[in-house]
This record gives sequence, C-alpha cells and structure tokens, in this order.
Amino acid sequence: MLKFIIRRTFWTIPVILLVILMTFLMMRQIKGNPFRNSERAVPPSIQRNLDRKFHLDKPWWQQYLYYVKGVATADLGPSLVQRNQNVNDVIKEHFPVSLKLGAFAMFFAIVVGIPIGILSALRQNTLSDYLSMGFVNVGYALPSFFISTLLVYFFALRWRNYTGLPTNGWGGWQTWILPAIALGLAPMTVFARITRGSMLETLQQDYIRTAKAKGLRWQRVVVLHVLRNSLIPTVTAAGPLLGYIITGSFIVESIFGIPGIGRYYVTSVTGRDYSVTMGITILLSLIIIFANLVVDILYGYLDPRTRDLRT
Amino acid sequence: MALLEVEDLRTYFQTREGEVHAVDGVSFELEERKTLGIVGESGCGKSVTALSIMGLVQTPGRVVSGSVRFTGRELTTLKRREMEDVRGLEIGMIFQDPMTSLNPTLTIGTQITETLRRHLSLSRKEARKRAVELLEEVHIPNAGRRLDDYPHRYSGGMRQRVMIAMAISCNPKLLIADEPTTALDVTVQAGVLDLLEELREDHDMAMIIITHNMGVVAETADDIAVMYAGQVVEQATALDLFDRPEHPYTEALLGALPKLDEPDARNARLLSIPGRPPDLLKPPEACRFAPRCKYAGTDDCSTVPPELREIRTGHWVRSAHPASERAKQPVAVS
Amino acid sequence: MAIDERLAAERAGKRRASFELALETTADARSAEAGAALQRASLWRDALQRFRANRAAVIAAIAFLALLAFVIFVPWLSNEDPYKLNFSQAYQNPSWAHPFGTDEFGRDQLVRVALGGRVSIAIGFAATFAIMGVGITYGSISGFVGGHLDNALMRFLDALYGLPYLPFAILTLAIFGTVTFWTMVVSLTIASWFTTARVMRGQIISLKENDYVRAAHAVGARWYRVLFRHLLPNTLGVIIIFVFLELPGVVLGEAFLSFIGLGINPPKASWGSLAQDGYGAYQTHPYLIVIPSLMIAWLILSAFFVADGLRDALDPRAREF
Repeated sequence: MLKFIIRRTFWTIPVILLVILMTFLMMRQIKGNPFRNSERAVPPSIQRNLDRKFHLDKPWWQQYLYYVKGVATADLGPSLVQRNQNVNDVIKEHFPVSLKLGAFAMFFAIVVGIPIGILSALRQNTLSDYLSMGFVNVGYALPSFFISTLLVYFFALRWRNYTGLPTNGWGGWQTWILPAIALGLAPMTVFARITRGSMLETLQQDYIRTAKAKGLRWQRVVVLHVLRNSLIPTVTAAGPLLGYIITGSFIVESIFGIPGIGRYYVTSVTGRDYSVTMGITILLSLIIIFANLVVDILYGYLDPRTRDLRT
Repeated sequence: MALLEVEDLRTYFQTREGEVHAVDGVSFELEERKTLGIVGESGCGKSVTALSIMGLVQTPGRVVSGSVRFTGRELTTLKRREMEDVRGLEIGMIFQDPMTSLNPTLTIGTQITETLRRHLSLSRKEARKRAVELLEEVHIPNAGRRLDDYPHRYSGGMRQRVMIAMAISCNPKLLIADEPTTALDVTVQAGVLDLLEELREDHDMAMIIITHNMGVVAETADDIAVMYAGQVVEQATALDLFDRPEHPYTEALLGALPKLDEPDARNARLLSIPGRPPDLLKPPEACRFAPRCKYAGTDDCSTVPPELREIRTGHWVRSAHPASERAKQPVAVS
Repeated sequence: MAIDERLAAERAGKRRASFELALETTADARSAEAGAALQRASLWRDALQRFRANRAAVIAAIAFLALLAFVIFVPWLSNEDPYKLNFSQAYQNPSWAHPFGTDEFGRDQLVRVALGGRVSIAIGFAATFAIMGVGITYGSISGFVGGHLDNALMRFLDALYGLPYLPFAILTLAIFGTVTFWTMVVSLTIASWFTTARVMRGQIISLKENDYVRAAHAVGARWYRVLFRHLLPNTLGVIIIFVFLELPGVVLGEAFLSFIGLGINPPKASWGSLAQDGYGAYQTHPYLIVIPSLMIAWLILSAFFVADGLRDALDPRAREF
C-alpha cells in the first residue's frame, strides 16, 4: 500500500512541472503590458531595471526555470499591478475565503447528495425516487448564477423576516449558508446521481446475492457490502468536483460579494497582472492535482484490486 | 413429513412485454440426507426454483402461488427478518459463478466469519478459529494465512470451495447448489463434486444439485427431477431414470449424450433435439414439449395439458406418451 | 518422364490445395466482415426501437428539437426589431405583445432570447464538434497505436487534467484578446476535450480485441482500413452519446463566461450575457434573468435525457435507472 502511495505521489511532480510550463507559455502569449497600463508612466531606464529584476530580459526557458524555483520555494513573485503586494500576499488574503466557501459547499454536496442517492437507489422506481431524481436533475441544469439569484431573492429578501439571512457580504456564519448552497448544488446533484447509479449497479452483483443467501441482516448487507463497493465511483467523482468548486467559485463570489480568489482572478486577467494570474492558476492546478492524488489513494484503499496493478 | 416439500410453486416475472412464467407449477419432495438433482436446459426454470425456495427472487419477479414447506414450516409467507434467519442457518446455497460471487473488497476471512457471527453468535476469535477449520475442511492449503487474502488472490476452483465453506458453516440441514461446477474446468469439477459428497455425509445434509449436465447428477443424485419450460416433466430415482426413462424429452436428453464406447462413435453424428423451448411469456396451453416431440401426433398432445402422474412407484412423468406405454402401444413417429 | 510428371502434378496439387485453403480463409474473413456489417445494421434498428420505447427519452428529444425550432424560427417570423431602442416600452412585464417582456432599452425579449439562443447553441454545437474532432483523433491514435506512444499521450493528458477548466478558458480568451464567436469556441474546446479523448481511447482499446478485427487482419487489411472501416464506425454510438453530454457543458461554460463579462460583444447576445443584463434588475424585473436561465436549463435537461436514452438504447446492459 505504501509503495502505491509513493509511486502515485511521485508521478505528480512531472505533471506539476508540465502544468507550470503550459501556463507559463500561455501567459507569454497574452498581449499587454501591466506596466504600461498603470497611471504612472514608467521611464525606459526604470523599465529596463524592472525587466532585469523580473528576469524579463532573459530567454523564455530561463524565465521558466526561475519560476519553477520560485514555486518550489513558495515564492510566486510580486504583483505587477499592486505595487506594494506580493502574489503570496494576495493569495493569503483571498484564498482562505474561497477555501472556506469551497469546503462548506463540498460539505453540503456530500451530506445532502449521497444520502439522496442511497435512498433513491434503495427505493428504486417509487414515487420518492422519481421526485428526488427530478429535483436533482433540475438542480443540475439550472446555472449557478440563477440559483444564487433565486436563493438571494427568496431567502434573503422575500422571506427575510423568517430567515434573517443577509444578501451579501462575508462575515458571520449566516453569510456562508446561501453561497455554500449555491456553489454546492450542482456537485450535490452529481453526487446523488453517481451514488444512486453505482448503488443500483452494485445491488445487481452476484456477491450481494451471496450475502443475502448467507442470511445476513439486510442493514448489514447494505452498509458493509453495497455501500462499501458503490462509494468507490462516488469518491472518484469527488476529485473533479472539488476542482469545479474551487475554480468555478467566481460567479458565486461575484453575486454574494465574497472577497475570494475567484473574483480576484478575473480582475487580474483583465488587468494583465501576469504574476498574480500565473500564481493563482498554479495554485488552483496544485489543488486539483492534489485532490486527484488523494482520490486515487483513497480508491486504492477502497478497492484492493487496483493496488496490485501497475499505476 | 419430508424435509422439504414444494407444492405447485409458481414464480412469474413482470416484464414490459408481459408476464413470464418462469416456474409454472413445480412440485417435489426431498427427504433428509438425500440428494435431489434438478436437470434441464438453460431457461427451464431450475435456478428460479431454487431462488424461490430461498426467497431470493428479485423484482420484477415474485412467487405468485404455491407452497414451500421446510421442516413443516411454510417459507413463502415469512417476513424478511424471519427469512433472513432461515437462510444460511437452516438452508445454505452456493451459486454458479465463483468469480463474481464473492465481495472483492472484503477478505475471505471477513466473509466467512460474518456468517458465523451472525447466526451462531461466536466471538471474533472463535469465529476466526472456526473459519480456519472450515477452510481446511474444503481442502484449502495454508488456511490460516489465506484467511486474510482477498478473493482475487484465489483461483476459480478455490473460490468455489470458499463458497461451499461459507454455505455449510452454520450446519444447515439443506444445501442448494446451483450449477456448482458449470463455470469450472473439467478437472476441477470432479474435485468439487467429491467435496460436496464428502461434506454432505459429514454434516448430515440434504442436497439439491441444479445442473444441465447429466453426468453430474448421475454421479451424485439419489433422485432426479427433469424440468422443461417451467415444469417438472419427469421425476424418479437416479437409477430408474437412467435405466428406464419415460418422458420423450428425457430420452432425447440421454440420447444426446455422446457415447464414446460404441463401435463407430467417432463417425456418428451427435443427436440434438430440434427446435427451441417455448416462449414463457405465452406458454402453450397443452404439452409444452409437443412442438419438438416426435411422438406428438394430431391427438391430445396439442390440446390437453398432461398432468404429472405416477407411472411406477416413485416414478412420475408428465406426458401422454411415456416410454412404457409406447412399448405396449406404438405411436406414430413424425 | 513419369516421375517428373508425377512430381509436377504433386506440386500443382499442393498449390491448388493451398489456394483452396486461402480461398476458404478469405471467404470466412469476408463473411465475418459481412457479419459484422450486418450486425451493425440490425443494431441501429434495434437501438432506434429501444429509444422510441423509452418515453422519457422521446419527450426529451422532442423538447430539444422544440428548442432548436424556437431559436431558428422565432426571429425569422417575428416583426420585432431586436436592436431598436424604444425607451417608451422599457421594462415591460411579459404580455401578449411581448411574451417575454422587454428590457431596459425596450427591446423585445422574445426575439432577443431566441437570437441569444442561436448564438449559445451555435457556440455549443461548434465547440462540441471541435471537441469531438480533437478528442477522437487524439484518443484513436493513442488507443490504436498503443505502446509507448499511448503511454506518453496519456501522461500528457493526465497533466492537462490538472488545469482548471474555467480559468484555462479565460486564459485562452485573454490570449486571443477579443471575444468573438470563434475565439469562444476555441477556448471552450481547448479546455474541454480531455474526457472525450480518454473515453475514445478506452473504446478503441476494447474494440481492438474483437474477433472481426482479427478477421480483417487475416485478410490482409491495412491499418487504415481496419481503423476507419471497422473500429471507428463501432464507436459511433459512444460518440453520439458524448455529443449530447458535452453540449450542455459547453453551453453552460459559455454562459458563465458571458455572465462575468467575458462574453460576446454587444449588440450580439447569448443567453449568458442576457442573464447578465437581467441580473441587475432581478428584484424588480425577474423575468429578464429567469427566462434565459430557464432556456439554458431546458437545453441541458433535454440533452441529458436524450443522452441517457441513447445510452440505454445502444447498450441496455449498462442501465443506470
């Protein structure tokens, strides 16, 4: 098992390097100069110094290596637009907010989605199954900006007196409820659907029939035999979903006025703040890669057959 | 009172196209410590019969009518919790495909001990000890160490033995084996059959073996029931069935067996039964074998459904033209 | 002389025997090929039948086509000019004159939503087909060639999976500088083709093992014949399903990008940018954001259920419901 973990972790390194390279090359293609956009025009001599300081005068592959070194030492460079801030500062200020929001959204998605999926599978083709799946499908199809708007309209405005929820802002726990639901609704539906489908498939398996033939209590069969096997695809879905939550948060952040990293990302792209953009993109990639790594390891633990296969 | 009494069992499946009569009036009895072989071609309903006895028929199927009495107790009306107490403890069952019948994410040890702890309330240590004993009983080498292996480390034959160990672990009075050797290599098959016989004696169990292989039942069964299209068409002791088969279907089945000891065996053609079994969505009104039977003429065969009747002591047949009657009064062959 | 004759006859006989054997093999292979083709033909008919029997799928298909008809015909048939500003009519609630209401400039929303639908759906289809093109090519090559190339291509794909979807699309748009129909299509394509590639590779790999492929090789078929005549047509089913699965994702992606301001420039609109326009007034005139959002949901739901029905129809063993 340990060898599996080490092997799998090792493979993330070339992936990370490749991701940094691709992002780096892409960034170089974006036209525009952050220095020229600022109000204070920069004289050429200072411009040259700045170029030298940021290695902008060196060939691209050297700049790449400098950057990789920076990533490895957790130094992502300064912000090119906000003169007095480093990229690290920007991240430190805004990322924890998004992380918190993402965590709540994921929590909501799991805690609501998986039980819905389980109950629907056990009550297949009954009214409750159709209703919950109908609800789930609609929730998936409605765009998150619409859901956010709906939530705000009803819970924070129309029914304000009952719920006491604010329309926006980021502070006490009340401000997290609606955004977390808005962001987590789509992943919740994915969890529900995958869990249900996977459970239905597992219920058909021969070994479930064997378990029943042994006279085991149905509750035990469901929990130990059915769930254990059917949660595997659900777990694998968690990786990409986490990616979706973290990277798709900017809409919810915009609507709810949450000072998160997603909102800042859009401003940095349009403002041509290269280093911030690079930094955030790398950060998000690292999260996705890390999430996939955790999911793969979990998968190896849950399904013993994969451990013996070559990665 | 026999150990198991099945009377007019009917199990139907509700499908989009209609109701499929998978089991349509099956009756038989099984005494303690005896072995019953149920034979028939694929789709004749023998597996569904076994599942109906165990209460394991899943939607869209259900037992529509009939009775299954085990040690005098009616099983078809039991609630789920009560049936869960019967399964594993009083009746054990093993299935056809050992490759898919074990949970791949749990160790063999867990899968054996969970049955023991469920029915016999053993402690974890006691259950583990008993599990090792069971594995040894089914001739798995290195039982102690292999207990913590996962199923994918076992071969097909070994997995089937594990299934058998699990099924007999709580000393049931009846063991149902649904095609226990079909998915195994020929050389492994003999071993498994011998094992089953050995265990049956040691544990004083009755056994039902379901198969489409006449060779298997010839070896192991005391009585044989031949099923066709959801019904029992002939039932007798094994000796009597092979010696003097009555139903044309049974005769054809036995005739289809290749006989290598005959003089021109190599050049002879294999006899097969022309035609296919009837569609169980709309079972024929009358004799279900009539379309393929060479003795079915323009008489009652196509209009009157034959009843299961005792043509000799202990020998039942469902046919208008059983062999012994044909011997006295020959029937035109079509 | 007699011996030479006999030898010659023997040699001729051997040649004839081997020639007859080759004929037999060819015949077998051809019939296997024909068998495969026949199999395909009847498979399609069976699948169509199964699809039609699936009520949910049929309703979804009708809904999808209805949506397409809506976006195609409404602007064509309507008399309203979607670009004309008419402040006297501003912010009208839905009525007979304006079934979807009007926006802040007095423009009829019915026509605008339909036109926006044209843009959204067109982007959706264009991007989906591009995704199919890139994904199928990449996956087929990887799966068909196999070996080290396959390994390398798949590792590269693993790396691409590490890039966050929407930020990646945003970056690509930034590279292009402006947002037009085609830059949007390319950006969405670049960010979304990975799954298709992976699935296609899996399909090709599993199909490669089939006997009719071996039969084709036995007849001496070249690799391109095997690929294009045997393997790819059998992946057609999966491809069609994937079209209906990718389309919603792309449309949603475009809507998101438009909503945050990175959408197609006005006065051309898409559902996403219409929603953005309407967002400002959601408290007083909710229909401005509700209707485009419902349109998006309509597309996604119908496409999803069609994909589900197709999946059922083409492989009833892999049922989810």
